[in-house]
Amino acid sequence: MSTENDHHAHDADDGAVHSHISSVQFYVGIFLGLVCLTILTVKVSYYDFGPANIIVALLIATMKAGLVATFFMHLAHDKLFNTLAFISAFLFLSVFIMLTNDDLGRRAQVDWVYGGTVDPRTGLAAPGGMPATSATIDDVEGEAPGNDKAGPKEPKGEAPKGEKKE
Amino acid sequence: MANVTEAADPHPSAHGDHGDAHAHAHPSFLAHHFDTPAQQYNAAKLGMWVFIATEILMFGGLFCAYAIWRGLEPDIFDQAHHFLNKIMGATNTVVLLFSSLTAALAVRSSQLGKRTETSVYLVVTILCACVFLVVKYFEYTHKMHLGLLPGHCFGHPWFSGAIENGKEVGTCLRVHADGPAGSPLWVRAVDESGHVRVLPPRANMFFALYFVMTGLHAVHVLIGMSILGWCLYRNMKGQFSKEYFTAVDLGALYWHLVDLVWIYLFPLLYLVGKPE
Repeated sequence: MSTENDHHAHDADDGAVHSHISSVQFYVGIFLGLVCLTILTVKVSYYDFGPANIIVALLIATMKAGLVATFFMHLAHDKLFNTLAFISAFLFLSVFIMLTNDDLGRRAQVDWVYGGTVDPRTGLAAPGGMPATSATIDDVEGEAPGNDKAGPKEPKGEAPKGEKKE
Repeated sequence: MANVTEAADPHPSAHGDHGDAHAHAHPSFLAHHFDTPAQQYNAAKLGMWVFIATEILMFGGLFCAYAIWRGLEPDIFDQAHHFLNKIMGATNTVVLLFSSLTAALAVRSSQLGKRTETSVYLVVTILCACVFLVVKYFEYTHKMHLGLLPGHCFGHPWFSGAIENGKEVGTCLRVHADGPAGSPLWVRAVDESGHVRVLPPRANMFFALYFVMTGLHAVHVLIGMSILGWCLYRNMKGQFSKEYFTAVDLGALYWHLVDLVWIYLFPLLYLVGKPE
């Protein structure tokens, strides 16, 4: 029974490590490709594609990450199972982000006037709730100081979070 | 393609045929519970890849936070990202990519058994890491000077004691001149393209994410530097050879991971948003 530890069939299995060795020129070529993609991603950031901005940026980043993982990290010549371990991380990450996003979409908000937590879409009591901190309330009280573009706003008083006994 | 399918096969070598197929004895670098150097090498690599997966998941928590907050506050991310210097970020990207190249070349030369060359490439990689951190230092200090550090200007009541009521201290501004202590503060500062911007208190989320994500990444740069330094030390002591270069290979894998994370951090923090 022969052991098949060596994934390159260029010689008989002697149990030694036989890894693929690429040429220096090849690695330099990959590096130059990565630099070109970096320049490209900076250049396109000066154009406005609207909501597609982030998609364009992530596409280029993924191409770069693909080059690094495939050639610098040797996945192209490595065991397929290593690639699987690597890809699975992104799979679990997407599950994590999707579930978090879903949770956020169903969450109620703290009703500071009547108390309790209320789903703003239905107006009914609902579980969960992010407290209306300065980071979540829809309007930050007052206008930006020294900012002429922001029109005058009716002062609404402080958010309950900001209240402090004096 | 045949190689790939073959590579997917699990090791069938658990039956301990050690000794018959390979005439050579256990080399000094081969742990006694492995049959062959190749088995040891493949086990080490798989372990490293699983570790890389957990690293991605650790950063994943922050990327998730980024996705959520960006979805909630696209305009603030748009405004706040003008405080990051695209040129410095791009420079750092190229520095890291170059260090990734030298790390890959260090693995290559250690695969070929060229000891001096490996040392040179490892030193260059570590130097690139230093350059990266120096650029990062200038970016961080500039942002701290503007008061963009979470907590300083950004409306946390327990930090705002040093700010006089109704008076502009540094670059922090109070919304109402007669507002109570602890009310949210705005930040007025000159952004990277020379425009004066007034950031709402909620902009702290962007800068908190910026500092934590790049900070955790910088910690990884430091760890990567020490790992590569350890590889360099062992290489100079002559512990690696054509047959055994696992540590250099795995150290470089870690370094490439640092590069991978930055490849995503750079566009997400520096580039996304409406251009002016």
